[in-house]
Amino acid sequence: MAVTRVEVTPKQGEGMRDVRGDVIRRQLKADHNLDVSNVRSINGFLIKSNVEKSAIDDRANDLFADPIIEDVLTDSLFLTSSEHFPLTPDAAITIGFKPGVTDNPGSAAYDGFQTLFPQTDLVDASISTYHTYAFFGLPDGVTCEWLAATLHNSLIQRAVVADSAACSNGQWPAIDYPEKPPQTLTPPKRVDLEIPDEALENLSETGLLALNLEEMQTIQAHYRDTTIQQSRAAVGIVPDAPTDVELECLAQTWSEHCKHKIFASKIHHVDVDTGEDTYIDSIFKTHIMKPTHDLQKEVDWLLSVFHDNSGVIAWDENWSVCMKAETHNSPSALDPYGGAMTGIVGVNRDILGTGLGARPIANTDVFCFGPPDWDGELPDNLFHPSRVFRGVHAGVRVGGNESGIPTVNGAIVFDNRYIGKPLVYCGTVGIMPRKLPDGRESHIKTPSPGDIVYMVGGRVGYDGIHGATFSSLELTEESPSSAVQIGDPITQKKMLDMVLEARDAGLISCITDNGAGGLSSSIGEMAEYTNGCEIDLAKVPLKQPGLSAWEILVSESQERMTIAVRPEHREAFDAMAQLHEVEATPVATFTNSGMFHVKYGEDTVAYLSIEFLHDGVPQLQLESEWSTPTPEKFDPATIQLDKDGHSDLLLRMLARPNIASKESWVRQYDHEVIAQTAVKPFVGVHRDGPGDAGVIAPLHGDPHGLVISCGIAPRYSDLDAGAMAAASIDEAVRNAVCAGINVDKMAGLDNFCWPDSIESVKTPDGKFKLAQLVRANRELERVCRAYKLPCVSGKDSMKNDYGTGEKKISIPPTLLYSVFGDQPDVRFTATSDFKNRGDKIYLIGQSKEELGASEISFMLHESGEAAGIGGQVPLLPDPETNLTTYRALSTAIQAGLVRTAHDCSEGGVAVAAAEMCIGGRVGAEIDIDGTGPSGVWSRLWGESLGRFIVGVQPEDEADFVEWMSGHSITLLGEVTDTDKMVISDGYEVLIEAEIDSMVESWQNTLDMTGGVA
Amino acid sequence: MSAPKVAVLFGFGINCDHETAAVFNLVGGDSERIHVNHFVSGNRSLEDFEILAVPGGFSFGDHLGSGRLMGNRMRFALREQLHAFVAAGKPIIGICNGFQVLVKTGLLPGPGADGPLPDFVQRASLTLNDSGRYEDRWVTLEFDDQSPCIWTKGIQRIDCPVRHGEGKFVMPSTTDFDALAANHQLTVRYVDPKSPIGEGISDQPLPFPLSPNGSMRNIAGICDATGLVFGLMPHPEAVYAKWLHPDHTRNTAPGPLTSDTLGEWEGEGLQMFRNAVQYVLSKR
Repeated sequence: MAVTRVEVTPKQGEGMRDVRGDVIRRQLKADHNLDVSNVRSINGFLIKSNVEKSAIDDRANDLFADPIIEDVLTDSLFLTSSEHFPLTPDAAITIGFKPGVTDNPGSAAYDGFQTLFPQTDLVDASISTYHTYAFFGLPDGVTCEWLAATLHNSLIQRAVVADSAACSNGQWPAIDYPEKPPQTLTPPKRVDLEIPDEALENLSETGLLALNLEEMQTIQAHYRDTTIQQSRAAVGIVPDAPTDVELECLAQTWSEHCKHKIFASKIHHVDVDTGEDTYIDSIFKTHIMKPTHDLQKEVDWLLSVFHDNSGVIAWDENWSVCMKAETHNSPSALDPYGGAMTGIVGVNRDILGTGLGARPIANTDVFCFGPPDWDGELPDNLFHPSRVFRGVHAGVRVGGNESGIPTVNGAIVFDNRYIGKPLVYCGTVGIMPRKLPDGRESHIKTPSPGDIVYMVGGRVGYDGIHGATFSSLELTEESPSSAVQIGDPITQKKMLDMVLEARDAGLISCITDNGAGGLSSSIGEMAEYTNGCEIDLAKVPLKQPGLSAWEILVSESQERMTIAVRPEHREAFDAMAQLHEVEATPVATFTNSGMFHVKYGEDTVAYLSIEFLHDGVPQLQLESEWSTPTPEKFDPATIQLDKDGHSDLLLRMLARPNIASKESWVRQYDHEVIAQTAVKPFVGVHRDGPGDAGVIAPLHGDPHGLVISCGIAPRYSDLDAGAMAAASIDEAVRNAVCAGINVDKMAGLDNFCWPDSIESVKTPDGKFKLAQLVRANRELERVCRAYKLPCVSGKDSMKNDYGTGEKKISIPPTLLYSVFGDQPDVRFTATSDFKNRGDKIYLIGQSKEELGASEISFMLHESGEAAGIGGQVPLLPDPETNLTTYRALSTAIQAGLVRTAHDCSEGGVAVAAAEMCIGGRVGAEIDIDGTGPSGVWSRLWGESLGRFIVGVQPEDEADFVEWMSGHSITLLGEVTDTDKMVISDGYEVLIEAEIDSMVESWQNTLDMTGGVA
Repeated sequence: MSAPKVAVLFGFGINCDHETAAVFNLVGGDSERIHVNHFVSGNRSLEDFEILAVPGGFSFGDHLGSGRLMGNRMRFALREQLHAFVAAGKPIIGICNGFQVLVKTGLLPGPGADGPLPDFVQRASLTLNDSGRYEDRWVTLEFDDQSPCIWTKGIQRIDCPVRHGEGKFVMPSTTDFDALAANHQLTVRYVDPKSPIGEGISDQPLPFPLSPNGSMRNIAGICDATGLVFGLMPHPEAVYAKWLHPDHTRNTAPGPLTSDTLGEWEGEGLQMFRNAVQYVLSKR
């Protein structure tokens, strides 16, 4: 087959712009302070087909180019055309994909190609795309190699460059079609496990199996059982040893990622400070599952917890809602764009795979990065934090926007230690009718033996092999590229449309997504319902031929659901797939044989009992030892304030990346598709004040709402990971209260990201890190029980480290807590922006002497003005009382009594009040005298939990005070129509700041767009 | 009288189909979400509907230019059905990606007033925002009160969100714009909210973000010469209710004081859909 090249470039002329080139130019300025006078772009297509070049040339303007705005050239490079490129560039760089990497524009072009050439035999035709950038006026000293490295990721892309000399000589970069070398199918192999222990460990390590010695020995023992050997011989599979298919399948199913072995382990916990010496049999069962099940007995709205892809709650009589959050940290470190995109589209599939299928209606995303302005050293193989930030943001943006799901809430957190491993949390909320038209309850799966199991959506390829086991290992310089995938949101959207129609037509008996572990996990997990399945891997459609059986079974190629259909519904299901142009292939049947039976054609390649597959993994026994860290104390008395005192500190605090406005990033997410978003991520007169929580009214015409919020406070782990967990939960709940959530109908998600916490040579401090996990979970249980807050779903990612030994970087233990719940009427909600002059400002809660690990302590410690960040971390001693206060405030908001509310977190009262002035573009007079039993610094900057600042109209003040009687409220002052925020302590003025300066400090830090010029 | 039947297209990445269908129902329409392939395959016929809506989204991921691949499918597979639809005097709206699709099929701006039926020739385009960024932000729109557009009658100024990366409206020459302007087909423009109502429209490009994309002559939407086919980049359906306006939390969201559907909570965007439904009823 011939390859035809087509190139497209924007027309030059009045009013026309080369926007793709402009974007590159602005980013070089924003990230590297490089001034390039002009960048021009060319889009290239390499079309491999039997269609004549002349025929393609004739239709080039119908498909590849838009004749109004673009020029097109067939079979030649634009750079050779002096008509289109009269000036010689200083450098030209062409970037294309490596063979086998998902090329979404290429697939779309191929789809369009079929529309134009429907009669042609296109069986093996395909289209690959590339970009060329020509640089004009490049500053001296910028090399092509550096530019190319900045513009592409060599893990998944190829770059061809022409430097200034090459450009002058007309040696242009021409990239070829990325032909994948043919693969030969390797038949399943017997893997000999009758080898010494050392060799077993070695086998696990070199094979990326991520199994420990005890687990390897358990597998070894399994194959020594003579009954098992006999049953294996009967089906014609090697009797006394696993096949590679089986070993891979066990490694995926037993991975930390899938089995949560640390949360399930038996922990010997010692507290050096208190003398406690005890055993905990599964943190998960003890501290998460038990409290939630206890709560399930008290309420009637917890429909499904833990066992499905997301937790489901009844929202009203007719509708239920569900939510799930996941992390995609390791892939995002290697390929920020692709890794993050698969994160968001992956969690969307969890929602689609909940019950009999829920519709995703809102996304959340929370990122933890290294500082974007980092100028220190970077370990090998790691990207600069600003590049990780850009890539992750772009991946989530494209994944969410193209899927038509609004991003309504999130956060971005910075700390040096996330340079080693960024955290990329993606969450999705879904909705489903409680009863389907055929009368079945939508949250209950109804599989039975004999059901046909389809693989629906994308095909299986080499991308995504070993994702689950890989994420259960630390990141190294040799981390494999096959663990990285790029999502294809449109293939997924087509599948989503189809699946929801199939659900409503009653065609689905069971559904789950293909994520970690691929078919091995998805079919394996569903087979637990009927106690057996038989899979034929030869039927699985592949992206390219040659995949071995084990690769087909465990590949995590994206955009796939596994769906069980009753035999009598097959025809209707096939027709629906055809209409939506979605590939749906029967690959298995459910049985009740008790076996996970995998064939390749006629040959049995894996034969494992469902019981051994799912429950055979031995429980880990781990050691945990706590002693309270005592870092140098943060002591305000030692701080030398300059002449502007706290006013100067305020402007510096507002510019801290952890506090600064993220608007330029968040505005690039579609946050209001579906026409339901009643409180948007940014609020206030100029729609640039911070929103506390997302509020949506998903039923069109009905103001009944849902609140979605989150809390995260990783730096408190430096003092106590237990306090960190309590603070995260409290922050999420406070944010939701600001929006008027019904505190008696809210649910939570716990997403733990931890560094390796198993003591070993690689992790000598594993006992302490595990003790941090124990404390975090004990606090999680205590606070959630007090708040009547069930944890309906969660996830843990337990190996967030980079490197080993001296070079090792471990993330701070991080809990993201997400809350979703009922909001009775979105017309009655509150936002953070101050509304009108004369509104009374109140503080709810008390400011205590709690400056440990506060943002102000970190700022002054990093600048050398303070000796340390230690001291009392914010605590939550009496959560039961907090809940009653939250209920009072939330109902006051629902009653329309309070229209302004903002929670106090990083930066305390000073920062919260500043943000409220920014949102309303008004001034305020505030007196913090009497706001708590603590010094000025704590009352101004302290981060004590349980606090809000609210605004109340003067005519409502008396009612408000009465409504809140019995709760701690303090009058702070009132909103003014001046352009200044003034904060005093009694007669002493502490802060006097102009609104414009606050806006500037707050907005500039993270505006990395490079402007619009 | 039976409610006018509205076909709301979906499939291949269209994603505003649910809300677009819902707003027609709120104003007396009888809408149905229909997969494009039902019309392509002949399972269903456009003839059975009285209004066609092409909602927003990312058809085919907007690869190769927004709306282009969906535009091609419609241009090649639905040519006769679409021609007959307009010839029968039935309204069509394209919102955001739907507008891009209508422009790329050639339905907008369409041929001149002397032979206004569709000829499926592309005469304009919507291209990347000058900023290079996809953004979701609220803009203020003002309408040409002399436009023949049946969708915008009586609407003077509204606030709406834009949510696009490719909304810059371009045509090859100023004479193209002059011809459309003379027919009052430049139906809706981005304006400065501080300008007096009725005096906002200007041909001089407004700065970002008042014009979110650098559109020539600040164009947000246009109609064809018949006034039946209308497309715009902003999302009127996204402000069907006041509680979707960012200012509702400040009790200052604009919109009608009363309405038959949402009482005092009707948003400014709903009238456009009511106009089309009432137009169809008036022609029966």
